[in-house]
Amino acid sequence: MKLKTIMAAAFGLLAGVAQAQEFPSGNVDYVIPFGPGGESDITARLQQPFFSDKFGQELVVSYQPGGGGAVGWSQLNSMAGDGSKIMGINLPHIIIKPQQGDVGFQTEDITSVYMFHYTPDAIVVNADSPYQTLDDLVADAKENPGAVIFSGSGKGTANHLAQIRFDGMADIKTTYVSFQGTGASVTALLGNQVKAAWGYTTVGAAQGEAVRMLAVAMPERHPAFPDVPTFKELGYDLVSGAYRGIAVPQSASEETRQAVSDAIAEINADPDFQQKMIDGGFALVDVGYGEAMDAFMAEQSGIYLEAARAGGIIE
Amino acid sequence: MRDRTGPPEMFDYVLAALSPINLLFALFGVAAGTIIGSIPGLTATMAVAVLVPITFGLPPESALILLGAIYTGAIYGGAYAAILLNTPGTPSAIATTFDGYPMAQRGDGDLAVSVACLSSVVGGLVGALALLLLAPPLARAALAFGPVEYFWLAIFGLSLIAALSTGDFLKGMIGAGFGILLAMIGVSETSAEVRFTFGSQTLLGGIEVVSALIGLYCVPVLIDLVARPDRHLQEAGSTRGFRLPEAFATLVREKFNVLRSSVIGTLVGALPGAGGSIAGLVAYSEARRVGKGSPSYGHGNPGGIVATESANNATVGGGFIPTLVLGIPGTPPDAVILGALLVQGVRTGPALFSGGSDIVYTFIFGLFLATILMLPVGLLIGRFAYGAIVKAPKSALVPVVAFMTVIGTFAIRNSMSDVAIMVVLGVVGWLAKRFGFAVSPIVLGLILGRIAEQGFVQSWTIGAAIGDLPGQFFGRPLSMVIIALTCLSFVYPFLPRLRALKGPGGVPVAKPERVPAPLIAGDLIAVGLMAAIALTAVVLSTSLNPDAAVFPRTIALGMLVLCALAVAQTLITGQVRLELTDGSWGRRIGVPLAMALFVMLAPRLGFGLAGCVMGLLLIGVSEYESRTAKGWLILSASVVAAILVFTLSFREFLAVPLPTGIAF
Repeated sequence: MKLKTIMAAAFGLLAGVAQAQEFPSGNVDYVIPFGPGGESDITARLQQPFFSDKFGQELVVSYQPGGGGAVGWSQLNSMAGDGSKIMGINLPHIIIKPQQGDVGFQTEDITSVYMFHYTPDAIVVNADSPYQTLDDLVADAKENPGAVIFSGSGKGTANHLAQIRFDGMADIKTTYVSFQGTGASVTALLGNQVKAAWGYTTVGAAQGEAVRMLAVAMPERHPAFPDVPTFKELGYDLVSGAYRGIAVPQSASEETRQAVSDAIAEINADPDFQQKMIDGGFALVDVGYGEAMDAFMAEQSGIYLEAARAGGIIE
Repeated sequence: MRDRTGPPEMFDYVLAALSPINLLFALFGVAAGTIIGSIPGLTATMAVAVLVPITFGLPPESALILLGAIYTGAIYGGAYAAILLNTPGTPSAIATTFDGYPMAQRGDGDLAVSVACLSSVVGGLVGALALLLLAPPLARAALAFGPVEYFWLAIFGLSLIAALSTGDFLKGMIGAGFGILLAMIGVSETSAEVRFTFGSQTLLGGIEVVSALIGLYCVPVLIDLVARPDRHLQEAGSTRGFRLPEAFATLVREKFNVLRSSVIGTLVGALPGAGGSIAGLVAYSEARRVGKGSPSYGHGNPGGIVATESANNATVGGGFIPTLVLGIPGTPPDAVILGALLVQGVRTGPALFSGGSDIVYTFIFGLFLATILMLPVGLLIGRFAYGAIVKAPKSALVPVVAFMTVIGTFAIRNSMSDVAIMVVLGVVGWLAKRFGFAVSPIVLGLILGRIAEQGFVQSWTIGAAIGDLPGQFFGRPLSMVIIALTCLSFVYPFLPRLRALKGPGGVPVAKPERVPAPLIAGDLIAVGLMAAIALTAVVLSTSLNPDAAVFPRTIALGMLVLCALAVAQTLITGQVRLELTDGSWGRRIGVPLAMALFVMLAPRLGFGLAGCVMGLLLIGVSEYESRTAKGWLILSASVVAAILVFTLSFREFLAVPLPTGIAF
């Protein structure tokens, strides 16, 4: 057993060396299917310097926004599969969007090779909000069905699906107002246009003392917020968020897929990178290419699609 | 960390901002920003995003100063294309075209560019001053703007059509409705549903505002340019330098205008959901409302440039207010800058302003510095841009500008679909103008339609949840103020006419004769087409979910009513407002045809090679003189060289993934 492990590790190492020669063989275009300034862009920018340090090639970030990511993803498979092009992917987008109409791609068309982080869902309130705990909010929602108004970053986004799922778990009815992105949603929260926001831990990191997070949807507490309980601790089995990762065109060989996956994994393993991500409120995950990814996608698809159906977002 | 910021510390920050390295960054940033901003399609957001990787290795203050300087320069650079080519390089410069282009046409382009530079500097300084002194209170005030207020603000913006549609108010409103419907194409922002794409992948991403601006404003200019042999702009008899004394005199004369516009720009810039386009338009229409003097606004009054350019540069400082105080980006470039700071390891958000004052104040003084540097840099580059456009022969100008429009449009979202949409909208814009539908209301609808829809659906959701829809829409004090302003702005342009009707001394106007029947028929067909579009939208919206359907359906129904009124008006008065044109039709059609050919060829031949093919075709279309073989060779070689230089610099310096096809 031990020998097997060592052998496997040695092979992995050898394979790693072989792949390191193949990928990256030059500068890599990293296409973000959203505009600049969003979280997909920011995390790509965080990876950028580590990529050139480790692999001696540049990671060139470019943008192909439109249709909430659909424009970029629908063109992924027409790009070169030699490892010179990689694209950012987002959950639940690539699962939900194809169910909402003809958006030019199906979930299966996307070859996901690595999921490297997520922004865990969180309920955020203003610092001066009467809700001190999650219980306060649930109690208010039970008393006044529909009157607890949340802002959120858009219909069908991770935090909207979290709202739908949480309403079911807590047996409450709340109102979700869809804004254009997290910035607009937080603006509404800070301006007291809504009572709370379904946001992400990144909001807590950015807003600091101006806001209070009531709970985060992580398996363990976030290292940057040791005082904020998880939903799990409070009795709700909610671990969710917006997952971000990397995909390659379908034409990419198995070796290239694995090599890209390994490269991203290596960046993810760098302590400096981890610290920067945590400071920004992100949470790292490591889902690599192959069976792990297939299992992860199958599990998430089930959860997201069920919530989307429950919320009437898809039929 | 200091808990108090006194004068001695302030002086330290000024010194820090003035360090040689920061000076150099500010200078480089302003110059790079101005050049990038001057190319239609290259927005301030993109200018900032492109240079973000450079800032990774810099100390945070220097990085911020560099990015702020690029941003400032890019907003100003947008004025060149607006003045010299009638193409707002960014949405903030839309209103600059109204008076800037007429000035350039009559030979005052150099003065217009200098006035734009001075106004931008003043506006930028006012915005930066507000950022320095008033940021926290202004940021809190901006938070009072909720969904309802944004909805009414968008409606207020649309009411400017009444002031802007120089001729036909009804057609202006119909055009705005058309623009709003265009904005609804693609994935709905409020319900995530796919709308009005007719199953086409090209339309999936919706109509991008800047590419629409390029199509609607610039392509018609090119089409009309080739139809007649006369020059693009009147050339000045002799070199007149920067015409600075005249420009200064203009600003002194317009001192109230420049102050009012700068304040408007700062305030609107501080609203995270509004931005430079609304700021420029509001400032322009205010200036026009109180402005006198000749020539009148819309026909080349420098006051229009003063208003727009001071307002849009004031949004830079204004936009940084929510960005730095609240951690909420005031404008799209601010979002990129916030991201860059995060990569730097700087904690953004409220903690930045209160805790990291070293960075913030050094940056604010850096912004002052960049704005002041914009004066010499902007004047010099402006002089060069003016000279290049005025002196270039038409047969070189048309192909190069046409290539700039396609490459600029592509670069916004790295999308060939956007280029195709841009060319189609160019033809639509030209036709619409001929039939009396001005382009600006369409553009207003396109920009404000989205803001209005979001605000409307959000307010509706909130109102329904609290069980008080009327209170939500009409009961909030801030909304009431905006509603009152909207009513005023709708009615105001009609006051002189109402007075003329009532007043005794009114000169009786002879009833104009009816125009010939074919013209009336043409007008009716044009209005009928608009009605058909509205009807299509109504029919298509029946299959959408209620959130996605309510707004476009309401607008389309309103459009139908307006179309009916317009038909009645035409039939009763027998008057139509058509733009009659002469000149060569073959050449006119040649422009969009060459551009359409480019769209087909670019993915196969490569962007650069297809651009050369289009360029050579357009030389043929736009050349009226006969040349020697050597002359043709020189002309073709310079056009091809310009196109290749553009292609290369976009690929290499801006990292735009232009399709390479089989060749280049």
